[in-house]
Amino acid sequence: MNRRVAVIGVGNSKFGKRDDVTIRELAWEAIKEALEDANLRQKDIDITVVSSTAYRGTELYPAPPVSEYAGLVGKSPIRVEAACASGSAAAFTAINLIASGMADIVLAVGVDKMTEVDTSASLAIGGRGGNYYWEFQMYGTTFPAYYALYATRHMALYGTTEEDMALASVKAHKYASYNEKAHFRNRITVEDVLKSRVIAWPLKLLDCSPISDGSAAVIFASEEKVRELKIDTPIWVKGIGYSSDTSYIAARGEWVGLAAARDAALKAYKMAKVTPQDIEYATVHDCFSIAEIMAYEDLGFVEKGKGTQLLREGQTEKDGKVAVNLLGGLKAKGHPLGATGLSMIYEITKQLREEAGPVQHSFKKYIALTHNVGGTGHYAYVMIFSR
Amino acid sequence: MEGVPLVLKYTVADKLYEVFWEGLKKGEIYATRCKRCGTIYFPPRRDCEKCLASDMEWVKLKEDGVLMTYTIVKQKPQGFESYPDYTIGIARNSDGVNLMCWVKGEPKVGKRVRLTTDTKRIICEIVE
Repeated sequence: MNRRVAVIGVGNSKFGKRDDVTIRELAWEAIKEALEDANLRQKDIDITVVSSTAYRGTELYPAPPVSEYAGLVGKSPIRVEAACASGSAAAFTAINLIASGMADIVLAVGVDKMTEVDTSASLAIGGRGGNYYWEFQMYGTTFPAYYALYATRHMALYGTTEEDMALASVKAHKYASYNEKAHFRNRITVEDVLKSRVIAWPLKLLDCSPISDGSAAVIFASEEKVRELKIDTPIWVKGIGYSSDTSYIAARGEWVGLAAARDAALKAYKMAKVTPQDIEYATVHDCFSIAEIMAYEDLGFVEKGKGTQLLREGQTEKDGKVAVNLLGGLKAKGHPLGATGLSMIYEITKQLREEAGPVQHSFKKYIALTHNVGGTGHYAYVMIFSR
Repeated sequence: MEGVPLVLKYTVADKLYEVFWEGLKKGEIYATRCKRCGTIYFPPRRDCEKCLASDMEWVKLKEDGVLMTYTIVKQKPQGFESYPDYTIGIARNSDGVNLMCWVKGEPKVGKRVRLTTDTKRIICEIVE
């Protein structure tokens, strides 16, 4: 990057079924918090990047109503989309606007209102998350089904069990119970997961992240602005990795991990000049329980096939070797697609600033990572941050 | 309150891949092969990304293969709600081509399968 970039403000709305608001009030919750957190006002923002998949909401072009409501008219000429990784695509765009010298202070806001349509429509939209013509048209794919194809093969090759996968969901709900903004705050047991109804075998309801409404916002600034504004604890962007994979899932030839996530991780580690062992905190894209296990492996925290071991040993708990998703992850915090990537940056910013309250992890090097996947590894972003 | 429904009716291009769609009606599965560089493509395509030629021929894929993975879909999407539960699989045939299919029979990763069709899609039958 030509110029260093830091996070100087973050905001996150309450996630859940938010039929108390329309998309603009929902986005405002995060934008307001981010502005106050950075101690800035709208006039200080050079440009706004909006991320939203929007397919499941009535507001198909959400950037104009969101920016109008937030007092950002004239500053939001772009909406970005990378399926479930849209939030990271917004961060990627915002960071590059600053790194290139085009702007000094950029607001990235991600929002989705996914509960405005019914579940069968939602499944039909997610089921188009690969290749409509060669998959959905003939086979009625659903988004859980795509990840289930990975789960089945992971089980067959590495002996991963349904109980192993359930541990990821149990951990997510445990930490979400401390997060007042989480979609679900109830604790669950392995047995609850195993007994929940089958969605796409081997994945059951409690292996799956919910359909959520929510928003998250992050304000990025150049190093000059960080100094000028006398920001106490800027969180620096150290590395960015990105990649993508085939739309037709069968063409990949391997279904036990996401090649795009592995590629993105390697790029991010190289740019940040760190190794997987340096990462003390990570947000991983646990849209399904199997996805968390594969993420540990794809990020190099453990070798392929051994992801479950980290869960069983408690290495990804608070104060473990690498703490993961201590706000409850996509599984329990919720997964409003356009917001998730930015909500991950919200989370690691709170952690690196040591403002995470009951779930504060203890750091030595203050290095954290976000792992955000779009589709079934159709898009992947890995970003590394440090204090 | 209820929002205004959005009804989307789609017309999908089918002439381009007519040989594939017609093959499904006869129990046959076709891929395309680039006449210039020989690359076989499944899903079929008109244009070769490797040598940039747009001169393809249709080739029939072999029937025997192996089941690589599968899932049993219980919660169905709009458009498939009236179907009984179906099993989506990925099979690798002896040409080395990986295909999505619906699985018939008792599925297990690594089992041998026979690739056929049900007129509308590729089916892989578990070979006992």
